[in-house]
Amino acid sequence: MAGVMVYVAIAVFLAGTAYKIYHWIRAPRSSVRLGMFPRPENSFGRGLKLIKDSIVFPQVLDNDRIMWFFVIMLHIVGLGTFIGHMRMLGEFAPLYNWLGKDGMDTLSYIGGGSAGLILLVAVLYLLFRRFKAPYRDISVPEDYLLLLLILLIIMLGDHLRFFAHFDVTDYQAYMKSLITFNPAFPAAIAESGARWVLASHVFTASLLAIYFPFSKLVHFIGSFAANLVRSD
Amino acid sequence: MAEKTINRELANVINVRLNRQLLYYIDICTRCGLCKDACHQYVATGDVTYLPAYRAELIRRVYKKYFTRTGRFMPSLIEGREPDDRLLDELYRTTYACTGCRRCMYYCPFSIDTTWLLGVAKAMLLEAGRGSPILTELAGAAVMKGENIDLFKDVILESLKDTEKEVQQITGDASAQIPVEKTGAQAMYVALAGTHTILPVAVIFHHARLDWTLSLFEAANYGYFLGDNKLAKTIADRIVDEAKRLQVTQIILSECGHAYRVMKFLYEAWAKEKLPFEVKGIVEVMHELVESGKIKLKKDSIAEAVTYHDPCQVGRNAGFYEEPRSLVKAVSRDYREMTPNREKNWCCGGGGGVVAEPAMDEFRLKTGMKKVEQIRATGARIVVSPCENCRLQLDGLNEKYNLNIKISSLMDLVADNLVAQK
Repeated sequence: MAGVMVYVAIAVFLAGTAYKIYHWIRAPRSSVRLGMFPRPENSFGRGLKLIKDSIVFPQVLDNDRIMWFFVIMLHIVGLGTFIGHMRMLGEFAPLYNWLGKDGMDTLSYIGGGSAGLILLVAVLYLLFRRFKAPYRDISVPEDYLLLLLILLIIMLGDHLRFFAHFDVTDYQAYMKSLITFNPAFPAAIAESGARWVLASHVFTASLLAIYFPFSKLVHFIGSFAANLVRSD
Repeated sequence: MAEKTINRELANVINVRLNRQLLYYIDICTRCGLCKDACHQYVATGDVTYLPAYRAELIRRVYKKYFTRTGRFMPSLIEGREPDDRLLDELYRTTYACTGCRRCMYYCPFSIDTTWLLGVAKAMLLEAGRGSPILTELAGAAVMKGENIDLFKDVILESLKDTEKEVQQITGDASAQIPVEKTGAQAMYVALAGTHTILPVAVIFHHARLDWTLSLFEAANYGYFLGDNKLAKTIADRIVDEAKRLQVTQIILSECGHAYRVMKFLYEAWAKEKLPFEVKGIVEVMHELVESGKIKLKKDSIAEAVTYHDPCQVGRNAGFYEEPRSLVKAVSRDYREMTPNREKNWCCGGGGGVVAEPAMDEFRLKTGMKKVEQIRATGARIVVSPCENCRLQLDGLNEKYNLNIKISSLMDLVADNLVAQK
């Protein structure tokens, strides 16, 4: 069941993202140059500025340092967590040969564990920030719903990390079953009580992926396009 | 039922106006609220309806309710709204209050241009017959003058005679002129209402031996503030047609931020044609005249502390940061910079046509608080700013907060400190 959900989620995420991009480029470009000054002299400068604005958020740093810290944490650690999950597809050979299985397990426990905690704190910060004026007054239910969903995914993930004690080979077996379109939990997971935690983690993450391109989270691609307008 | 149809038609105004960039702005705002510290109006009033994201959200909620799946099936999720009287009232108050300084765009991590979204709001308000009456009246007067210029011409020429005499006195040259309707002149200067924007420029141009002619029209464009692009184009057409008729190679706009923006960045897109002349601002022209040695400034002639206020339309929206500074610094012994400055400068609170609206007087003077703090911190006695709207606002702030400063235009500063040419 959770298996089918994963396929739907990936399909909707990809199709939804493609639709959103189509939806944007279908509209005519503004006939007026909307950029502001100072603006870079050439397209190389524009590219650099785009990367800086979209990855370092210098305007946020200038404006609200605490917010900048948590937002950077959320995005960088979030990206790191996504990459960390890739271990389930297969070991990264150079690192594996150097550290060995035990070393890799320790690394992912420390790395993944701290990432899980950092994400928890960052999302809680963003959530509690919304309870305060004036942020409360500009928030809509979508904002809370997304944060709560992400919070739930993180909490379930942290539970798996700290309390479930599945071996990476079990996750890899599950991932393999997904890739071969024959989704099933391997015995070690299926017989554990924590299988429901994993199923819920996958389920909520799939929900997020489905809603992703249709929500404000579409800024994961839109912000690059919009930040390019700054130097138009 | 009828009301429903009207609301849908109003919402459709948004849909029609949305181009690619505006769609990004609709879709990606996360309502992080970081724009709260960027807007002088929110900072001064603490009223959330002036927070840029809140203003933009009014448009966003109407659009989403009518044109997105989420909005149609689950409007409560995004708090979708109909363009009813309540929404339009709120939109009117917050949209015509915006000075268009685009400081919120600078501080937005996604570079969302709230002013541009509010341009869509103005289109919707105009469709609903709720445009600002004062701006409509001022724009109408400008169009009327354009259509009946022959009736006005004699009065204008008569009043210029006195100004011409003053130019002759100042320059000590009895042949000094204010040329009007001069075909084939190199440049046509477009002033503002009032000879204070003509006199200093005539003196400067006389010193520079520039081949120029004075436009019969003013640069200001209330159609642009109103948000009616068609009307704004008609007003700008007056100047464009005159320049074409006189076959000038460039037009030079007075110290008027939005007039420069209209001519330089908007007109060609509106008219879908390339202008056969160059568009320049008097700020860059004065800078070029000094750089090329055509005029000379008295170095360090002002002893009092001087500071420079970056008008939003001259700085953030046009890119002249260093040119005006080099002129101010050249003549001042004690130049002081405001903090923050350049692209981070605070709006004075007078832009966007707000100074033209008497009902906004109290609000705009209140929202100039940040500018007042900045000026006080410099301890400067003279504030120079090349924008008429800024200067009107600074005059108001000076009076209300007893700043005890003198506000000067850049043209006056340059004209008063010219070294006589041999």
